[in-house]
Amino acid sequence: MSDPYKVLGVSPNASDEEVKKAYRDLAKKYHPDNYVDNPLADLAQEKMKEINEAYDIITKSRRGGSGSSSRGSGGYSGYSGGGYQDGSSYGQIRQAIQSGNLQYAERLLEECPNRDAEWYFLNGMVSYQKGWLDDARSFFQRAVSMDPYNGEYRQALSAVSSTSSPYRQTGYGPPAAGGFDMCDMCTAMMCANMMCGGCR
Amino acid sequence: MFGFVRPLVPELKVRELERFRAAYCGLCHELGREYGLAGQAILNYDFVFLAMLLWGEREDCGYEMRRCVPGFCRKRCVCRSCAPLTTAAGYSVILAYWKARDSATDARGLGKLPGKALAALMRRAYKRAGERHPGFDASVRERLGELSKLEAENSQSLDKTADRFASLLASASGAAEESSRRALEQVLYHVGRIIYIADAVYDLGDDRKSGSYNPVASRYSLDSDRLSDEQKEELLETLMGSARLAAAAFDLMPRSYWTPVTENILYLGIPDMIRAVLDGTYKTVMRGLPKSPVRPGGGESEA
Repeated sequence: MSDPYKVLGVSPNASDEEVKKAYRDLAKKYHPDNYVDNPLADLAQEKMKEINEAYDIITKSRRGGSGSSSRGSGGYSGYSGGGYQDGSSYGQIRQAIQSGNLQYAERLLEECPNRDAEWYFLNGMVSYQKGWLDDARSFFQRAVSMDPYNGEYRQALSAVSSTSSPYRQTGYGPPAAGGFDMCDMCTAMMCANMMCGGCR
Repeated sequence: MFGFVRPLVPELKVRELERFRAAYCGLCHELGREYGLAGQAILNYDFVFLAMLLWGEREDCGYEMRRCVPGFCRKRCVCRSCAPLTTAAGYSVILAYWKARDSATDARGLGKLPGKALAALMRRAYKRAGERHPGFDASVRERLGELSKLEAENSQSLDKTADRFASLLASASGAAEESSRRALEQVLYHVGRIIYIADAVYDLGDDRKSGSYNPVASRYSLDSDRLSDEQKEELLETLMGSARLAAAAFDLMPRSYWTPVTENILYLGIPDMIRAVLDGTYKTVMRGLPKSPVRPGGGESEA
């Protein structure tokens, strides 16, 4: 494996605090919540594994090789999406979306006889995964208007309706005024997480 | 349609700005050397961004002092020629040529002339570039062809038309190193979407005057060149969503010599451009980046 200090982007002389901070920052950056329904989720997971290992190696070696995993409960573990096991065609479609097989999901959706809220919602999910955000919002809006009490649909809609800028990890940070709202970001992320298997 | 992708200058460090300018000049010289004046005429920021993303693991390729026009002007610090600049130069020529050809076919009557003239001027440069990058050439031709077809059908799906342009740009990731290709493809896809949609918003007035297809006008069935506040809000959501996805993908690419600049472009430059295009201040605020005075306050415009 490559140099763990290089993975965390710190010098081998860095203090424990600096190593910890670098690890925390990177873990935040690659956290699965930032890559929910993202086609690159697996890459993010790999990165996360890499920095987890690097941090473990460094802390272990600094403690003289003793002790077990030092990340303890503070560590970020990998992400496991909830699988949909139900046999209905919507279940099948959800599964196809989850596994990234969008073409198959689209075909199944086309074959679906009914056009209910769930149908619009799943179409929205497919669009979202393709990065077609305008269509995704239209589908989610439709789903929400047909079934306004479904939390999943509303959360999906609010996740695509965020106007916040991408959150910058490094540098001087964005100016405090306007446009940037960490709370929006967090709720959007939480909602996005729910969307992906949290409720069902 | 080009030039939307640029850094937010007040947030760059001085050395980063100097390097960025040197890369811009480097691309210009590269275009001049390889493709002549016709090549130089199409120089734009977007392809500097592409060159920086294709940089890979190399450090700088060295800088040298050169004049823009031999015999005139003062000397400027310029990036030496290297593979990413050569690739970006070739790609920009190919794209500009096919865009010109397309606008000639799409336009009616006298409107065909500018496109035809540009395509004729670029023909020799294009032939050279096309021979060097046959893969990108084929993908541009195919995708722009599909795009023209969608435009001719007056397609109402903003995402569908944007997808053709976005995947065209994403195919430029083929020139990157294996390790970063997948992430880069996503970055370029979403940046492509942003360029296409922002350009459509920016061109609403012109397209209406000339009666040409405009994907945003068509999406909202507009009967004027003004967007309502709700429509602007929706477009802001769409564009910022793509900006966030591009930035998330960018974070998965290995750090490179240009990361501080490309990071600025993705996290600050693009969001700033999006807001400016939507509130109609883009033309006044963003023109002439290298010489213009620093925009007061910099950063995010008020939402």
